Amino acid sequence: MRLAEAVARLCISIGGAGTIAAVALIFVFLVWVVVPLFGGAGHELRNQKTVASAAASAPPFAFGVDEYRDLGFVLKHDGTLVTWRTDDGKVLDTRALFTVPRLNSVSTRSPDGDLAFGFDDGSVRLGRISFHATYADMTSRPELAEVTADRPVIVAGGQLARRTQEGQLRLTGIAVSIDEPVQLGLTAPITALDVSSHRDTTKVVALDARGEIAAARIETRENLMTGEVTVDIRSHSVPLRPRATGPPTRLFLTGPGDVLLVTWDDGILQRHDLRDVEAPRLAEEFDLVDGEGSLTAAAFLIGKTTLITGDSRGRVRGWFGTKPAEAETPDGIRFVRTHDLDAEGPAVTALASSSRSRVVSAGFADGSVKTFHVTSHKLLIDTAVEGGEPITALVIAPKEDGLMAQAGAHVAAWNITLEHPEASLSALFAPVWYEGYDQPRHVWQSTGGTDDFEPKLGFWPLIFGTLKATFYSMLFGAPLAILAAIFTSEFLHKRLKGPLKSITEMMASLPSVVLGFIAAIVIAPYVQGLVSTVLALFFTVPCAFLLGAHLWQLLPQNAYVRLSGAPRFVAMGACLPVGVLAAFAVGPFFERTFFDGDIIAWLAGAQGDSVGGWLLLLIPVTALLYVFAASRFVGPWLRSMSAGWNRPQAARFEFARFGASLVLVFATALGAAHVLDGVGFDPRGGVFDTYVQRNALIVGFVMGFAIIPIVYTLAEDALSSVPAHLRLASLGAGATLWQTAMRVVVPTAMSGLFSAVMIGLGRAVGETMIVLMATGNTPIMSWSVFDGFRTLSANIAVELPEAVRDSTHYRALFLAALCLFALTFVLNTFAELVRQRFRKRAYQL
Amino acid sequence: MVKRRRSQRRGTSLLSHAEPFVWLTGGALVIAVAMIIGLMVLIVKEGGSTFWPQRVVRIDSTDGTSRMGEISSTEMYVPGPHVMAGLSDDTARRVRDVIAADGGVRRRMLRSGNFDLTGTHYTWIDDFAASGESLPEWAVVVERMSWGRFYGFPKAFVIENEVVARGPEAAWSRFKSVHASVRARFEERQDLETGAIGAINAEMEAGRLALRKAELSSGTGSFEYEQARALNDEQQIELKSRFESARDAVRTLDAENARYQLLFETADGAEMTIPAVDIVRAYAANQLGFVERVAVYLSRWWEFLSEAPREANSEGGVFPAIIGTVVMTLVMAILAVPFGVLAALYLREYATQGWLVSIVRIAVNNLAGVPSIVFGVFGLGFFCYVVGASVDTLLYAEKLPNPTYGKGGLIWAAFTLGLLTLPVVIVATEEALAAVPRSMREGSYACGATKWQTIRRIVLPRALPGIMTGMILAIARGAGEVAPLMLVGAVKLAPELVVEANSTAPFVHLHPERSFMHLGFHIYDLGFQSQNSEAARPMVYTTTLLLIAIIVILNITAIWVRERLKRRYAAGAF
Repeated sequence: MRLAEAVARLCISIGGAGTIAAVALIFVFLVWVVVPLFGGAGHELRNQKTVASAAASAPPFAFGVDEYRDLGFVLKHDGTLVTWRTDDGKVLDTRALFTVPRLNSVSTRSPDGDLAFGFDDGSVRLGRISFHATYADMTSRPELAEVTADRPVIVAGGQLARRTQEGQLRLTGIAVSIDEPVQLGLTAPITALDVSSHRDTTKVVALDARGEIAAARIETRENLMTGEVTVDIRSHSVPLRPRATGPPTRLFLTGPGDVLLVTWDDGILQRHDLRDVEAPRLAEEFDLVDGEGSLTAAAFLIGKTTLITGDSRGRVRGWFGTKPAEAETPDGIRFVRTHDLDAEGPAVTALASSSRSRVVSAGFADGSVKTFHVTSHKLLIDTAVEGGEPITALVIAPKEDGLMAQAGAHVAAWNITLEHPEASLSALFAPVWYEGYDQPRHVWQSTGGTDDFEPKLGFWPLIFGTLKATFYSMLFGAPLAILAAIFTSEFLHKRLKGPLKSITEMMASLPSVVLGFIAAIVIAPYVQGLVSTVLALFFTVPCAFLLGAHLWQLLPQNAYVRLSGAPRFVAMGACLPVGVLAAFAVGPFFERTFFDGDIIAWLAGAQGDSVGGWLLLLIPVTALLYVFAASRFVGPWLRSMSAGWNRPQAARFEFARFGASLVLVFATALGAAHVLDGVGFDPRGGVFDTYVQRNALIVGFVMGFAIIPIVYTLAEDALSSVPAHLRLASLGAGATLWQTAMRVVVPTAMSGLFSAVMIGLGRAVGETMIVLMATGNTPIMSWSVFDGFRTLSANIAVELPEAVRDSTHYRALFLAALCLFALTFVLNTFAELVRQRFRKRAYQL
Repeated sequence: MVKRRRSQRRGTSLLSHAEPFVWLTGGALVIAVAMIIGLMVLIVKEGGSTFWPQRVVRIDSTDGTSRMGEISSTEMYVPGPHVMAGLSDDTARRVRDVIAADGGVRRRMLRSGNFDLTGTHYTWIDDFAASGESLPEWAVVVERMSWGRFYGFPKAFVIENEVVARGPEAAWSRFKSVHASVRARFEERQDLETGAIGAINAEMEAGRLALRKAELSSGTGSFEYEQARALNDEQQIELKSRFESARDAVRTLDAENARYQLLFETADGAEMTIPAVDIVRAYAANQLGFVERVAVYLSRWWEFLSEAPREANSEGGVFPAIIGTVVMTLVMAILAVPFGVLAALYLREYATQGWLVSIVRIAVNNLAGVPSIVFGVFGLGFFCYVVGASVDTLLYAEKLPNPTYGKGGLIWAAFTLGLLTLPVVIVATEEALAAVPRSMREGSYACGATKWQTIRRIVLPRALPGIMTGMILAIARGAGEVAPLMLVGAVKLAPELVVEANSTAPFVHLHPERSFMHLGFHIYDLGFQSQNSEAARPMVYTTTLLLIAIIVILNITAIWVRERLKRRYAAGAF
């Protein structure tokens, strides 16, 4: 017996505690997934070797590492290409690429290895320096037999053979291909050049020692019949605006080849519009270093649109073209400084950008190396070469798993793990200046079509969407639910209470997918055809109930008392169709009068003045003001005036007053609307905007529908648990039911009502299916009732199935879930605490 | 003076009753009730009428074309300027007159089918563009295996490319006489394909996996591996021959079925040959009496409830979705209810009441308010990717890189929804436990019973109805929840059911790792992801009706149980 007791206690305790632990697990797990998002990048020095034959005091022409980080190469100023093993620094291959004419400059190397060479006779050659990896079968190459698990790397025939983890043999070597020389019409030595390929067209720009620039378009066409390849070269001179400081030193050609950037060492940049190669024109000229120091390094980011510059004062900055409305440049584009990556320090001596993301590394004169994510400004890696020599060249490995720097005769290599460089608190929650945007913005756009697309993970549009959905649904649902609860608990006939409560509870169990489906497939198309009528409903239906009440007052006293149970509720029910029918009459009339016959065209801003829109907004405001004024100032006066009247007289007077107040409210609102219209304010673009079929109005209505039951049930519970003796005392003292409800019951139950609303709020925040189906899911930030939006929850539902596990996107979506979890947790805990307090108080009363 | 005071009371009492404000509160309740009733009526009407066979109307247009089909909706509208511009002067004048008189012109949406010929399932037909309409006697509605419905007149019955019956009546009666046997053969063929051939495929796959397992555990050159390979090769040869014979049987049935065809003519005069085997159901709509119509209606419902979907889910039934929903919900309940009850017992009976327990209680209540999608995210990240992936590497390494448990599946969906519904069970059970009068417990203790005896014999039996209510409500919530399922295993079309009948004991085999179809997800998918959402619309309504019916029945049961419980307490309070 005692054993059974102990076992039961143990089981129950374990089961209970386990269940509660499971709850905690959710939170812990979400946090566990999210935390790496904000973690920094990792790096460790792999080795630092002396590669004597690669040594250079000035930055080499090209510097690279292969995909597997087995080989490094450097193209020296004398035209020799040195390849070495990164693990021990031994030179694998040395070849002289060019002897006569002498190599004078080289363009930056594209991710595929394409580059252009400039020579001292003014000629230019295109070419490619790349690594090629081949896989060989161990058995078919007997000379490679010495590769074993213990000694996985050997050198064979100018190639590096490595046994991979899968047991294959990988041979990596360097491959060089160089095209025939091309004359661009320059005769002096080429000092800088750049090349960009876009589809079949290659654009080359070159600068010679005399400061002349030539731009050439090279088109390669292959004859489909003969297979013959024809190369068409058209070269044009680019006129620079002359400067006293001498010729420029660097040239940059953007990705599509339509913009040429020319820089001088003193930091001046001239931007030339090269869309038409035959007629280049200067677009703008500005200073990259603010007149302090000199420009020491510059490089394009992936996509060749953002230029990263480094100067002698150690500043690393990002620049790209924007299209502000006030740009005075001939092409309407203005280059602006969008990213300040590093504060002042030792001079920047080398810059390298990643070939797969918007990561850039900067090397400094004191041998330090810093790596940044440009968009998020996150400093990922801060390290230095041993010895502190100035960095002459830098490269980020193609897979972003390594970093290699040359400092004099030393080559240092690091293993790096960038994890989630694009994510940081500010990148997720603050406006971010994405490439191509005029200003920092909140954008959510997680996937795109092209390779160099940058995911934009700004959370605000989603949070905004969530708040907007919540706001509009609470605006509709909360008052309805609270009022309905007050009526149910204070005025409804006892016998009707049960069935009506059951119906409303049934509403709570309706799957939200059904509501979403109805909203999107039935309500949204229907409302689109009847916008004016639907808007009119918000006015006619309350008016119909008020009208019904005033007519009801006209009943003789006996009938009034006798019918105050179920018949009165039936009469109320009859008012609804009256209101709806009235809307069908009033709506089109208003549409003709105030919206030029087509409210959707009016919303699009195509026609009409703003009076109608203001009227829609002002009628509720004036109505509320009127009710306030009437009860505060007119009420007491009315009471004393009507003292001498009998009931029918008072009822008739009230009826007349109701009619008069309707006219008064409308007239006041109309007058105010005209005034506001006259002043020039227009609600369009704010609360009203172009009509979208699946919009906040629909969501507000349907999600209101979804939260009504929960708010109603909780509010009704709160009202019902107000002790009966309070009610009875009030009624006994001569107060009417309404006075008792408003002055005794509602104030007592106020905290309960409040917590009901809070819990409804929590529901609205996390609701998924309705917003997923009934909004257009566009992550935009607009307060308009007639615009769509995207909420956190719908975003998760849409994107998580496609997100790659453990990617930044995946973790960002977990962060969205964590936000929702935290938000609802706080709301619910708060509501629960308030409710418990209320319970205690109600119990004490 | 007296008179004045009395009348004063009367007048002010009218104001004090604030009738208009009371009516506003009442109006709010009226609106809420009207919304729920309106929604229910809409769903019942649309869902209930979908399967009702309507008359087939043939409408001839003024431009000489004819369309035939069932009228699905009617509306009044004002044609836009570009429509008016396309009309002849005479028609335009007539249309303007009609608009002036009625405020719009009427147009009807015809479900005209014949998607393979016209590229559309529905056609709008303006009244002003119609020159005449009729209810042709021999208009036949054909529900096909693919391409949706077909509307046309039977012209001839063809056996092996030879016309054996000409004219609608003869062709129709010949078709009727063979259709049942053709369909029976088709069923047999389907059974062979899924049953016998499916089993052979499964055995082949099992053999391959056994080989892979041997490779993983002992390496390629080992004795075990060679043994496994020899065994596998032997098996494969035998399976191949079995496969061939099964396929031959299927081919024979197919060949026999392919002999019968029905030649149709559409309203436009185009001819169309439909193999008899492709015809699921066909009836001459305008000849049906009431009883026959009811028969068609019921047979459609039966198909809906018992068959798998066809035509990208827009036709056929939802049987897999029903099975998926039911099995997932049951597994969920089996997981959630015991733990929920244990947690409630712990909280209410064992834990020392104090601030810790009230924090836990708040946390549990809170969990009920956490958005369901968050549970989905947790389920995907934790159950599928962490737990499932570990299970895969431990137990199903031979199947990798194809995940077995490391992806969305029934078991993980059930776990996720179990967690989601746990608070519902806990709260309901706690309330039920709290409602057991203290006096009964004390009585039990006074008789010398221990705590566990008291709980088992006294408290639990009395709380059982409350626990049942909680369970039913949890099931209702779980059955209607879709958002988390989108992440943890619900799919638009599951090739295999999660339960399979077996010839050996225990006769039913559950596949907890499989993805499944779910009624709620089916609604979302049909309404929003479907290629042809217009054609799928009727199915969405019927699926919605079905889902709501299930949930309402569960809720009503819960309410009924609760009422019974209340009455029992009321009776047993003394």
